[in-house]
Amino acid sequence: MKIRLVFAWILVLNCPAVSRPLFAHHSSSSYDMEHPVIMKGVVSNMEWTNPHVFIYLDVKDDNGGVEQWRVEGNSPNMLVRAGWKKEMIKAGDQLAVNGALAKSGSKVMRLISLTLANGQKFDGQGFK
Amino acid sequence: MGRVLNNFDLAWKLGAWPTVRNHSILSAFLAALALPLVIFAQTAQRPEAAKTRAVSAVPDFSGVWFIDEYHRNLLPKEDPPFQPWAEAKFKELQSEKLHQDPDDGPDPTERCIPPGIPRTMLQPFPWEIVQARDRVIMIFEYQSLIRQIFTDGRGHPKDLEPTYMGNAIGKFEGDTLVIDTIGFNDKTWLDPMGLPHSDAMHVVERIRRVDHDTLVDEYTIDDPKAYTKSWTTQRTFKLKPEWQIQEYVCSENNKVK
Repeated sequence: MKIRLVFAWILVLNCPAVSRPLFAHHSSSSYDMEHPVIMKGVVSNMEWTNPHVFIYLDVKDDNGGVEQWRVEGNSPNMLVRAGWKKEMIKAGDQLAVNGALAKSGSKVMRLISLTLANGQKFDGQGFK
Repeated sequence: MGRVLNNFDLAWKLGAWPTVRNHSILSAFLAALALPLVIFAQTAQRPEAAKTRAVSAVPDFSGVWFIDEYHRNLLPKEDPPFQPWAEAKFKELQSEKLHQDPDDGPDPTERCIPPGIPRTMLQPFPWEIVQARDRVIMIFEYQSLIRQIFTDGRGHPKDLEPTYMGNAIGKFEGDTLVIDTIGFNDKTWLDPMGLPHSDAMHVVERIRRVDHDTLVDEYTIDDPKAYTKSWTTQRTFKLKPEWQIQEYVCSENNKVK
């Protein structure tokens, strides 16, 4: 994988317990939950939709190119419980996302948590 | 109400009341006015009192509840006693090939099919119990589903067509609500791993409050077509007093093919 994925082993300490419900609509079996990663990028679009919220992130690869990733959060109702607001993420914003990658190799990530440019951190599932 | 009183005030100011000489007529008039109120109060009191007695006689589970510990396996430590076809179907679903693409998995719920019972209660979304005189109602946030458990003593209908939620009747035994559900279709999984069941499934639940914030539901799965004997598991739910059931729409922007 040529993009700048930071294997964040330290995040294991912050990862939710195994018994924590990570995936509500989609099965967690299609994501590599054992190796969560961090990506940084620029938001190109956000879909505040059911059943899941999607953030589209432009991530620079090692060759100077840009790849578009789809980052999938939980449903709006649960994210609102975790303090999310629809307006808090806009196109052009810098984001750092921590999540699990699709086993298929497609550019799809399931969000565990994200950090806004101002340093605010939000749970990507919303069960707190 | 204020306007009516003003009219009475006006009548008083105009001297209307002091000029009424026939007090018996006034008394009869006021009595006639008051009579319907008395009758209403009496008729209204009876069912209210009965309702209060009925509600106080059974445990109160009302509130928003949320799964405490989520497990993908309904039986975390062992396999249930499969019939051969059920075991084969279950093992087939564990193939890694089926679990690569998040947009194309085998789980029926990914395509907005209701999770059935017990899985609807075990999803990582809250649900609310509302207790009425003749039924317990579960309002599920996930897929905006509703389950009705009739507690008025009725039995299951004789000719049941299969449904996702089944037909549920319940009775209170001390601090426990015992729910008996039949009439399921066979289109759902019992858990996210894919435990199958048939249309012969019979689920018996025993729900009780072990402390103010904790509800325990013990599920007994009796499905002779899919399992060689009945088996039991249980789940714990926590009260979420600050939460309200919210909107959830499965089909709006579902990426699953």
